[in-house]
Amino acid sequence: MSVRVLNPNAEVLNKSAALHMTINAAKGLQDVLKSNLGPKGTIKMLVGGSGDIKLTKDGNTLLKEMQIQNPTAIMIARTAVAQDDISGDGTTSTVIFIGELMKQSERCIDEGMHPRVLVDGFEIAKRATLQFLDTFKTPVVMGDEPDKEILKMVARTTLRTKLYESLADQLTDIVVNSVLCIRKPEEPIDLFMVEIMHMRHKFDVDTRLVEGLVLDHGSRHPDMKRRAENCHILTCNVSLEYEKSEINAGFFYSNADQREAMVTAERRSVDERVKKIIELKNKVCAGNDNSFVILNQKGIDPPSLDLLAREGIIALRRAKRRNMERLVLACGGEAVNSVDDLTPDCLGWAGLVYEHVLGEEKYTFVEQVKNPHSCTILIKGPNDHTIAQIKDAVRDGLRSVKNTLEDECVVLGAGAFEVAARQHLMNVVKKTVQGRAQLGVEAFANALLVVPKTLAENAGLDTQDVIISLTSEHDKGNVVGLNLQDGEPIDPQLTGIFDNYSVKRQLINSGPVIASQLLLVDEVIRAGRNMRKPT
Amino acid sequence: MGYSMQPYGIQSMLKEGYRHLSGLDEAVIKNIEACKELSTITRTSLGPNGMNKMVINHLDKLFVTSDAATIVNELEIQHPAAKILVLAARAQQEEIGDGANLTISFAGELLQNAEELIRMGLHPSEIISGYIKATNKTVEILEQLVESGSETMDVRNKEEVVFRMRAAVASKQFGQEEIICSLVADACIQVCPKNPTNFNVDNVRVAKLLGGGLHNSCIVRGMVLKSDAVGSIKKMEKAKVAVFAGGVDTSATETKGTILIHSASQLENYAKTEEAKVEELIKAVAESGAKVIVSGGPVGEMALHFCERYKIMVLKISSKFELRRFCRTAGAVAHLKLSRPSPDDLGYVDSISVEEIGGVTVTIARNEEGGNSISTVVLRGSTDSILDDLERAVDDGVNTYKAMCRDSRIVPGAAATEIELAQRLKEYANAETGLDKYAITKYAESFEFVPKTLADNAGLNAMEIIAALYTGHGSGNTKLGIDLEEGACKDASETKVWDLFATKLFALKYASDAACTVLRVDQIIMAKQAGGPNRAAAAAAGAGGDED
Repeated sequence: MSVRVLNPNAEVLNKSAALHMTINAAKGLQDVLKSNLGPKGTIKMLVGGSGDIKLTKDGNTLLKEMQIQNPTAIMIARTAVAQDDISGDGTTSTVIFIGELMKQSERCIDEGMHPRVLVDGFEIAKRATLQFLDTFKTPVVMGDEPDKEILKMVARTTLRTKLYESLADQLTDIVVNSVLCIRKPEEPIDLFMVEIMHMRHKFDVDTRLVEGLVLDHGSRHPDMKRRAENCHILTCNVSLEYEKSEINAGFFYSNADQREAMVTAERRSVDERVKKIIELKNKVCAGNDNSFVILNQKGIDPPSLDLLAREGIIALRRAKRRNMERLVLACGGEAVNSVDDLTPDCLGWAGLVYEHVLGEEKYTFVEQVKNPHSCTILIKGPNDHTIAQIKDAVRDGLRSVKNTLEDECVVLGAGAFEVAARQHLMNVVKKTVQGRAQLGVEAFANALLVVPKTLAENAGLDTQDVIISLTSEHDKGNVVGLNLQDGEPIDPQLTGIFDNYSVKRQLINSGPVIASQLLLVDEVIRAGRNMRKPT
Repeated sequence: MGYSMQPYGIQSMLKEGYRHLSGLDEAVIKNIEACKELSTITRTSLGPNGMNKMVINHLDKLFVTSDAATIVNELEIQHPAAKILVLAARAQQEEIGDGANLTISFAGELLQNAEELIRMGLHPSEIISGYIKATNKTVEILEQLVESGSETMDVRNKEEVVFRMRAAVASKQFGQEEIICSLVADACIQVCPKNPTNFNVDNVRVAKLLGGGLHNSCIVRGMVLKSDAVGSIKKMEKAKVAVFAGGVDTSATETKGTILIHSASQLENYAKTEEAKVEELIKAVAESGAKVIVSGGPVGEMALHFCERYKIMVLKISSKFELRRFCRTAGAVAHLKLSRPSPDDLGYVDSISVEEIGGVTVTIARNEEGGNSISTVVLRGSTDSILDDLERAVDDGVNTYKAMCRDSRIVPGAAATEIELAQRLKEYANAETGLDKYAITKYAESFEFVPKTLADNAGLNAMEIIAALYTGHGSGNTKLGIDLEEGACKDASETKVWDLFATKLFALKYASDAACTVLRVDQIIMAKQAGGPNRAAAAAAGAGGDED
């Protein structure tokens, strides 16, 4: 072979061998992820190198944690990860859709078709499906007061595929409320404003939404109050600790008195800053029993803490940077970088600040804030893997709500869209296509069915029965999805199963692209220098 | 190696050394087996007649205990599924502090029964849905079984406390529960704050001193420190205490200081001014009325000298947390630097003295009147492992106290509750239609392992006991339990074996949760074992780092 002549160490696969390798890899990946899809999917257990456990149903997590080596599989996995980055959901669907496209193509290619023709068919089908999606979607008006019910349905659909039912239903409310909480008119939603905090405590069903903030550290002084009501919150980024000078400085003294003077002088500037804060506290708290809380991004050293504690101020040091931003949104006020021009306007407000100690860990809750634009989802669970699982699910749930708000439309779920799109492709689009590209369209249409098929398979239903009953209902003009409980067709609109428009769009866009690329590969060459082990 | 040689499927896609298990036989059944193994280990330690285990951990430390939490912690379980059980037990231990064994054994039993169902042909998802239904029903029944009148209790009444604590302590130290319970109850009641729900287990300390026997153990209202006083004054009565967190010495600047000396006389003078400064400080402390100085840092030679002169006892507590506790005991406010303390910041102790107990020098700080914040249980025993085991029993007792402060409801112990649950669940299962029925029945049967194990461990005939229990419960005696001493069935209210409702509830829920999680997994992907130092060693090294 020509490459061998140029480089005798090169490994080459050509023509059908290359094609089969890619097809096999795609099918293999599909097999792995297939059992994850849908609410009835099973859980996978990933055991890390150090024996740590991770349980997941999320395709994205699985692909990230599984260190895949096969080049084709990596390409598919990357598409899936891109899917997750853009829409936050639908990774599993992407992988199995690509796998199915490859499987359908294999059949055609075995019958002697040229991949190029198939690819042309895919392209036509893709465009047609996207157009169809736009007519099929259900628009939702998102005014100032979004329809909470529809958001809940979308969130529920997403969450139920990640967690078991009762927990998913509980999280639905939490997720929807938290997104609505941070939503500001005329501004894109920034999901980072939802803090996700976890505590290893109690049960997974104790997960709740905190309207305010939860910080994962506590005050460092034994005499500070553990609980305060009606608090003024000072969010600041001021160093309240002695900082050594940059240059190598030293003191010279010749008696103990002088040294004492040095000790006090050294601390003076820090003490003055603390005093300014205390002055402000006295100003706002005089004559009432309000409390004062300082949340500082920089450090507060023990002598300063001591001074503050004596004034009854709660001070937290080394708050996380991201929390500073959230604090301002949650409590109001503004973050100050200097104590020179402190005014009561800089202060935020919280009805309740308290510390919760859990074993060695301390948590500070800032609650009962006015008009919050930031909130915290407090995840609880008895062990780390449960928490990790919920965390992944919450992330996806938040994304789905955000997507709905931005798309202003949803798509019927439970396989209804896929079946309808297939009918559309087979009955309408195929007839408009000339020549052999028709077969490509057909393959694409059949590949779409993989979603309801897999859903049925995971629920332990008979795949063929399900597909036939679904398609016949669609032929009659009813848009139906699959009821996973009994395998009968149902109306997704009534049961509230909705998917994100953007997820489906991305799926249909990226799936065929990568499948086409893979189909058009006719040679795989490994000839580069091996980076791992020099030989 | 060519690509065409690669195998089909997932194995080809993973890195070298990765293992992939999937399907019923490979994953589910294997997981169940592993969990069963684990629960057979812990099971024999269940109950008052449970056997002790001797575990030697990777640091060659010897444990002799029947405390399941300790056993599984030291076993360092590697198998992922078994680890889920361990995590459940750990959660139980952290949440309630007792009942870890029940959690593991019950989860093991549930899985064992699930295996039978799988072999019968049920799908794991059906078993899970059955188990979840059964768990919900169990919680419901358990609430009905709560002894009426137990919702309210006086947490300061020793009898009531001991009454609820006995079973928990007895399962760790059978035969000695009376002594331990009374000690723990005394200690707990002493430190119980006004609002009992704020009870902090940290306020009951345990001091283990080798020698003597359990009957020598006692309670100290205050603290027992395993250290000597720094100076020569070893005893002080009715003394005011000043606490300095930063050490008792001459003050120093953060920046490096250098003494600038030009002549010999200056050198002499410097020493003198230094001395005068320290004396001034110590004198100020002495004048404030303090007779005891407690330091969190080093005590300078010179400072010590002046302390002796002003007849001040000096004590060094280097642990930050211990120092905080001391502050609470004495009601003192810690100062950072050596300075004149204001009268409000001074603490008070009735007596503070250095004593020698069993060859160990300890400093005992007592505070009879105001000392309601810390109490110490001084445990005596002949060997370290006995002491460790006693300590765990005390810990369980204290945790039980904490749990009862929050929820004082109790249910009959000695397997009475379990049999009743089993019986009622079976009735519930019979009324159920569909495949869940089998799973619920098995769930109910799983409860039988408690009386079975209790009887087995006590050397009784388990079958006879269970049969007798069922007959008793069938005829409406819901409190019939096992009397292990007589080997017969007896009313739990007669034998006075009561368990806390919260302990049972959490144990059962965690166990069911863990069992369902194990059943839900159908694929396992294992990474290659990471090389380098093993994780436990790394964790131990990490824990040694600074905490504050």
